[in-house]
Amino acid sequence: MQSSVTQPQSATPGSGGPPPEVGPPPRRSSGRAWEWSLAALLLLPNLVLLIVFTYRPLLDNIRLSFTDWNISSPIANPVGLSNYIEWFGRDDTKIIVRNTLVFTVATVGISMAVGLGLALLLDQKLKGRNIVRSVVFAPFVISGAAIGIAFQFVFDPQFGLVRDLLARIGVASPDFYQQPGWALFMVTVTYIWKNLGYTFVIYLAALQGRRADLDEAAEIDGATAWTRFRRVLMPQLRPTTFFLSITVLLSSVQVFDIINVMTRGGPQGNGTTTLVYQVYQETFVNQRAGYGATVATVMFVILLAVTVVQVRFMDRGKQA
Amino acid sequence: MNEFSRRGFLGLAGAAGVAGLAACAGTGTSPTTGGGGGSSNTIEFWSNHPGNSKPVEQQIIKAFEAANPSLKVKLVDAGKNYEEVAQKFNASLAGGSLPDVVVVSDVTWFNFALNKQLSPLDELLSTAKIDTSDYVDALYNDYNLDDKHYALPFSRSTPLFYYNKDLWKAAGLEDRGPKDWDEFLTWAPKLKAAAGSDKIVMELPDGSNYLDWVFQNIVWGYGGAYSKEWTPTFSDPNTVKAGTYLQNLAKDGYLKLSKDPAPDFTAGIVGCSMMSTGSLGGVAKDAKFPVGTAFLPGDGNCPTGGAGVGIPANIPDDRKKNALKFIEFLTNAQNTVTFTQATGYMPVRKSAVDLPEEKAFLEKNPNAQTAIEQLPKTRSQDNVRVLLPGGGARIGKGLDQIVQGQDVATVFKGLDAESQQVFDSQIKSKLGA
Repeated sequence: MQSSVTQPQSATPGSGGPPPEVGPPPRRSSGRAWEWSLAALLLLPNLVLLIVFTYRPLLDNIRLSFTDWNISSPIANPVGLSNYIEWFGRDDTKIIVRNTLVFTVATVGISMAVGLGLALLLDQKLKGRNIVRSVVFAPFVISGAAIGIAFQFVFDPQFGLVRDLLARIGVASPDFYQQPGWALFMVTVTYIWKNLGYTFVIYLAALQGRRADLDEAAEIDGATAWTRFRRVLMPQLRPTTFFLSITVLLSSVQVFDIINVMTRGGPQGNGTTTLVYQVYQETFVNQRAGYGATVATVMFVILLAVTVVQVRFMDRGKQA
Repeated sequence: MNEFSRRGFLGLAGAAGVAGLAACAGTGTSPTTGGGGGSSNTIEFWSNHPGNSKPVEQQIIKAFEAANPSLKVKLVDAGKNYEEVAQKFNASLAGGSLPDVVVVSDVTWFNFALNKQLSPLDELLSTAKIDTSDYVDALYNDYNLDDKHYALPFSRSTPLFYYNKDLWKAAGLEDRGPKDWDEFLTWAPKLKAAAGSDKIVMELPDGSNYLDWVFQNIVWGYGGAYSKEWTPTFSDPNTVKAGTYLQNLAKDGYLKLSKDPAPDFTAGIVGCSMMSTGSLGGVAKDAKFPVGTAFLPGDGNCPTGGAGVGIPANIPDDRKKNALKFIEFLTNAQNTVTFTQATGYMPVRKSAVDLPEEKAFLEKNPNAQTAIEQLPKTRSQDNVRVLLPGGGARIGKGLDQIVQGQDVATVFKGLDAESQQVFDSQIKSKLGA
């Protein structure tokens, strides 16, 4: 924000210079100090909470990543970089990073695309749209663990709904719980279903706040529906898309409940293990809290880099 | 003054979110020793209520409070399974309020004992003049480290061989379990023919759900083991033979893995399974066909399992004394019978089976009798499964891979190397310390 305060030009008495410009009266320094104090006062509670509950544990986590801490032990011995060397050298790292990537890209991409599609559809004046809006949003407020349990019945290879539907067209159900690819597909679909309501409702709010006159003007000028969507609507939704890309990415990377309930990271040990699930496995199952902290730190660095790229990308988009 | 745009704000918010994600990943706590907390006349009991045992736990607590009016017991839901109880206990060790009594499983107790977070009970038992000779020896000695006991048996189980008697009859088989796994292999084609193509001869839990526990029976049956003491023996030819047997069962269409075989078995889709005695109550109630139970195949090849109850090391002595008083009550002959009959777990006291109410119960429930008769044939589990951190999950992953067709020798060679590495890095230096 550009400062709106015009800097007063001082007129030296007796210098015979031009008369002082007439402008808004200068703000007194005590007023500015008061503003800063108020801002600090308002920010302080949140800042303290952030420092105590986010940044201090973050630094503690980084420190622990250089130790061999067993979570039940009162002692943590320094081990230098060996946890990091181990993580980068282990065979399962590739599988876990790939799982995380597939899950995140699919959940972010699909939930945003489908959420936008549903928002566009339910922004129309359709009969019963409020009921449908509620139905689409409802899964978002249900706990992931409850949804995980419910979806076990959907994907059960013996009794499940999917098996029943496939049987009607003469196709055998895949074993979603024993084949790693299908298991990852299952948890991805379940997560998208749960979180679709979030992208939907944010996009719907953005659509309702858009400038309809621009769309009308483009229509009068003969722009096709696709052109209006691409050239008129999407630029208006850019801040919303940016916001969603960050928040959905962060929540997708954090998914734990659905995986824990449905597959416990399996089949075959790490068929659906993502980075955050690996943190849990290493810390609480294998008791290696130091190594778990290493995985968490690596994840932090990756996500920070992705977020920086996202911010840069949006800034470039703004300048273009 | 620089522009502070919405995008800038979102970027900062994103960065804070990322930081929060890493910080909240479960590792942001300094390794410190828990302070204890709690009250000396309220006993806090952390349980996952194994076998849906919350009502019977409450019933026993009520009886304890009536017998000890100066003491109260607070039953705390500490998780839905043994692993979650261990996680909660770990969190409390890092600075929270410690319980007085905590459920520790065959897999979770050792790490706490090794890191001196559970009290050795021997001295407390001796001071309180509690006779431990009535506890079933195999179960009592499961919690032994360096000649000290760190828990007393509570919800103890073994696997049983469950079978559908109707299917057995249709296949022309005798009404009994197989003597060994070679005999089962001769039965499998008959069972498959009788079951039809839409049913499964045998279903076992997958590697994420304790396949590694029940598979010990097959390994031991073929003369192999996961380990001898602390030396991993997955590459032993007999262990490899057992792995190949498991793989062939799946390859020939006789075996499927699932998250939980109990619902498929009770629905009549599955002919037989190896499941915990803790499943007995539910299976017997829900199945619409006569359920048969038998010893696991082989003689003396049944692993023990389940959980015990321990006392944290870092609570005051008066709390430990009260905690032990409660544990003794919880696991005495009368209450182990009450608990057993409500859940299907095994009595942990030798004298329990002589009580009239238990005799009457066993007469009415011959399947429960099977579990008790199998008890003398049980064997403590191999160290690399129960005592190495992450042992069960590690072996389960390997067994899943074997069932999916990966080379048995290669998978087992990998398990040998991984188990040895975990022992060397996490256990070796602490043993005898």
